[in-house]
Amino acid sequence: MKKFNLMFLAAASMATLAACSSGDEEASGGSGSEGSADVDEITAWAWDPAFNIAALENAKEAYNGDGDYEVNVIENAQDDIIQKLNTGLSSGTTNGMPNIVLIEDYRAQSFLQAYPDAFHPLTDVINSDDFADYKIATTSYDGEQYGLPFDSGVAALYVRTDYLEEAGYSVEDVTDITWQEYIEIGKDVKEATGKNMLTLDPNDLAQVRMMIQTNGSWYVEEDGSTPNIAGNETLEAGFETYKEMMDADIAKIVSDWSQFVGAFNSGDVASVPTGNWITPSVKQAADQSGNWAVVPMPRLDMEGAVNASNLGGSSWYVLNVDGKEQAADFLLNTFGSNPDLYQTLVEDIGALGTYSPAAEGDAYAVEDEFFGGQQLITDLSTWTDEIPAVNYGLHTYAIEDILVTGMQDYLNGAELDTVLESVQGQAEAQLK
Amino acid sequence: MNRLKQIFIYTFLSVAAIVSIFPFLWMLVSITNKSVDVTQGRLLPGTHLIENLKTLFATVDIVPALLNSSIIAIITTFLTLLLASLAGYGFEIHRSRGKDIVFTILLLSMMIPFAAIMIPLYRMFGSISETAPLIGIDSLGAVILPTATTAFFIFFFRQNTKMFPKDLVEAGRIDGLSEIGVFFRIYVPTMKTTYAAAAIIAFMNSWNNYLWPLVILQSPEKRTIPLLISNLGSSYSPDYGVIMSAIVIATLPTALVFFLMQKHFVAGMMGSVKG
Amino acid sequence: MSQLGTKKAEVDLPVRTKYEESRRQKTGVFFKKKVGWLFIIVSILAITIFNFYPMVQAFLLSFQSGMGANLEYVGLDNWRRLFGDPTFIAALTNTTIYLLIQVPLMIVLALFFSVLLNDPKLKFKSFFRIAIFLPCVTSLVAYSVVFKYLFGIDGIINQFLLNFGFISQTINFLADPFWAKVVIILAITWRWTGYNMIFYLAALQNVDKSIYEAARIDGASSFQQFFQITVPMLKPIILFTSITSTIGTLQIFDEIVNITNGGPGNATISISQYIYNLSFEYTPDFGYASTVSYVIVILVVILSIIQFRVAGEKK
Repeated sequence: MKKFNLMFLAAASMATLAACSSGDEEASGGSGSEGSADVDEITAWAWDPAFNIAALENAKEAYNGDGDYEVNVIENAQDDIIQKLNTGLSSGTTNGMPNIVLIEDYRAQSFLQAYPDAFHPLTDVINSDDFADYKIATTSYDGEQYGLPFDSGVAALYVRTDYLEEAGYSVEDVTDITWQEYIEIGKDVKEATGKNMLTLDPNDLAQVRMMIQTNGSWYVEEDGSTPNIAGNETLEAGFETYKEMMDADIAKIVSDWSQFVGAFNSGDVASVPTGNWITPSVKQAADQSGNWAVVPMPRLDMEGAVNASNLGGSSWYVLNVDGKEQAADFLLNTFGSNPDLYQTLVEDIGALGTYSPAAEGDAYAVEDEFFGGQQLITDLSTWTDEIPAVNYGLHTYAIEDILVTGMQDYLNGAELDTVLESVQGQAEAQLK
Repeated sequence: MNRLKQIFIYTFLSVAAIVSIFPFLWMLVSITNKSVDVTQGRLLPGTHLIENLKTLFATVDIVPALLNSSIIAIITTFLTLLLASLAGYGFEIHRSRGKDIVFTILLLSMMIPFAAIMIPLYRMFGSISETAPLIGIDSLGAVILPTATTAFFIFFFRQNTKMFPKDLVEAGRIDGLSEIGVFFRIYVPTMKTTYAAAAIIAFMNSWNNYLWPLVILQSPEKRTIPLLISNLGSSYSPDYGVIMSAIVIATLPTALVFFLMQKHFVAGMMGSVKG
Repeated sequence: MSQLGTKKAEVDLPVRTKYEESRRQKTGVFFKKKVGWLFIIVSILAITIFNFYPMVQAFLLSFQSGMGANLEYVGLDNWRRLFGDPTFIAALTNTTIYLLIQVPLMIVLALFFSVLLNDPKLKFKSFFRIAIFLPCVTSLVAYSVVFKYLFGIDGIINQFLLNFGFISQTINFLADPFWAKVVIILAITWRWTGYNMIFYLAALQNVDKSIYEAARIDGASSFQQFFQITVPMLKPIILFTSITSTIGTLQIFDEIVNITNGGPGNATISISQYIYNLSFEYTPDFGYASTVSYVIVILVVILSIIQFRVAGEKK
């Protein structure tokens, strides 16, 4: 019986102990108070150890400024970063916030506008002209440049040359084409090989996003907040094309990322239209080496549409907490002005930046055997510069969730005009 | 007839067991496969186990995370069991009108989604971080405190106390035990199975808790297991074989706790104590 | 040590005077009332600080709206906004459907399993118990992958149904608004039945075996024993599990995000997922998210009152 009284004691003392042991360490992070700029350690958050985390580590090596501080790189999942930032910034507690954080471009405007004083402007720190135009549009707000553009989300069409050949097509035949031409080729490929042309996930309109950016259009007007759905001809064309792909029966339906990757890894599809960051996943299937090529993204069959688009991509931001000067200094002397760093990024981790002066380097010209000796990085870099700039605005994901429902209705036979008008109405109601 | 019933019961349980276990088995199989095979749902064991484990231990610090999770889960479970059973006992055995009202109000606290109170809670811990870093942001104490007392377990203990024979309490008092003595010497040993069930659930809740540790912990070395797994999955080119290996390692402690605790679910325990 | 002392003092209780006895009882009653509060005071304090205080803040937030940190009071606008918000209405409808079908199904199944697995004569008891418990510790990542493959177009379920002639054409379960809900309900039930079973298994140990003996002698069948002894005896726990499962299902999040992510369209979105989206997925509006959270609170309060009434417990 004594045991239980002991248990009580043990529990109580353990609780105290735990509190003490965690208290030994100093309260971390910037305290947010003004004044002391003498910080000897700054923290940076990113999410992919094989990609942006590795890029930060490379940047630490390449740093050529004269600041005297440590850079502490911390890995957090992307969704986790979003939750931590929102919770921290909205509670007004800067305690524990990082100095540098990577934010996806689609979300950048949300953060910049939702937490107006939380970010430190880099307008005077970096030269905007050095970066791809389309990145600058998404990383600045109210005349100030906040983000330092990082990776290119340039989208491309990854194709299986062996399947195309079987259907009687060459790589040239799929280069600089429209989506309608793509669909026709897809039908022939399916007939010849039995393979679907691509995967589609009806819950993810990334496909539509890529399509409409080829014509410089988005879900919102240029102000970044007014929904631009009903009467948006580009979006209509995107929807129609999407339905044509479904009707042509050339798409394998997937419902998540692992199935998406699984489909092309196992050779179930003849092409993958997506962001260039997929390269490592494509190369994962080593037995398919030499059977792949990468060509520019198909375009919408409209006046003014180009064969270049974007999917995803992210940029660095400096938080307005103690250590911001150091953080800005670190970014300037790495991603902001160091072309050699970008060569390392390409060589070591296959990360393609958007810093224009870097494109001259040797690393960009390397031939990739997996893609039949193609100078992949040079090509992607060229296409990056052609991506039409759009303001992603505040509501990309909110509107897309409504659009997904609209797409369902449209695929099930509803009139396109009615569908888009209803989406417009819902979006306006929700995004007050 | 009885024979038929037996056959039915065993068939039914076996089917249920297979359905229940299948994803778990697949998880076990997956740690022996390459990422490519995992994404294709391969059902057969592969030969990639050693590589997956090597990569796992090379890329993440799983041992400290296991340690953090264990410390948090054990302390939380202890505190939960102690405080919730005291309260559940108090509400039922020392029942009064006032306490019934308080109890009803307490129940309200488990009805709001955690996401809704997370930001005020975070602000609260943020404001004490300077003065009491032991339970401030980025401390294990801050993870434990809001989760160690929940209306859920008070409710659980109270409902179970309703099945507790009240005459045992009287008997204890007549034997001269103090009120707290009755609790520790009579109630606690009699309710062993209730404690076992609560321990399983409390441990599991704490072990799997994600959102609160995520926002309140900052330093990588304080991370718990679910946070570590979340990181593994967020890469643009996730290695599913490695992720599955981490998941399997993360799952074993809860399965083990259940296995050890369920042994207390032996019919007839009450009788022996009473007799 | 002190306890030993007390014990010794109480030994000579029988020789106490009547006066002493009655005095002791009087102070005893007074003390008993107070000591009752001592048992619960720590919990009350902790829950007030860590739950009620933030809950009040969240309640105040539900009358505010705006992006991120730019919140301002908007009166009842958020509450009005709810009724014109198709996503919220879809989430509310879906969640209600899950609740009505899934909770009763799961409670009955869990009760059934616990009775079967409590049989002292059952062989492989530990195995069956752990098997049925395993789903709730199986990682969501793993089980969502498995569920998606099982219910995929070329998945095992479709092949099974085709081979046995139940269907003539494959069903795209996860892309069909009706079947996607069915899959979600199955997934929730699959995951949480073993969890609820634990509560029943534990409670069954507290049921006096002799009652069953007596019933068996009276010739009561297993079914009669189940409904006339087990169910009434376990009533407090059945009430507990139905209220906590109601709360769990009304706040369901993980299964949906991992299996269908709310799709197709909004066919499976839940209230909690919508709260999450409003807070973290979209440009954050914590005010409106709080309002939606309080809808859950209101629903749970109403349903709990009904359940307490049905269970016949005095409040």
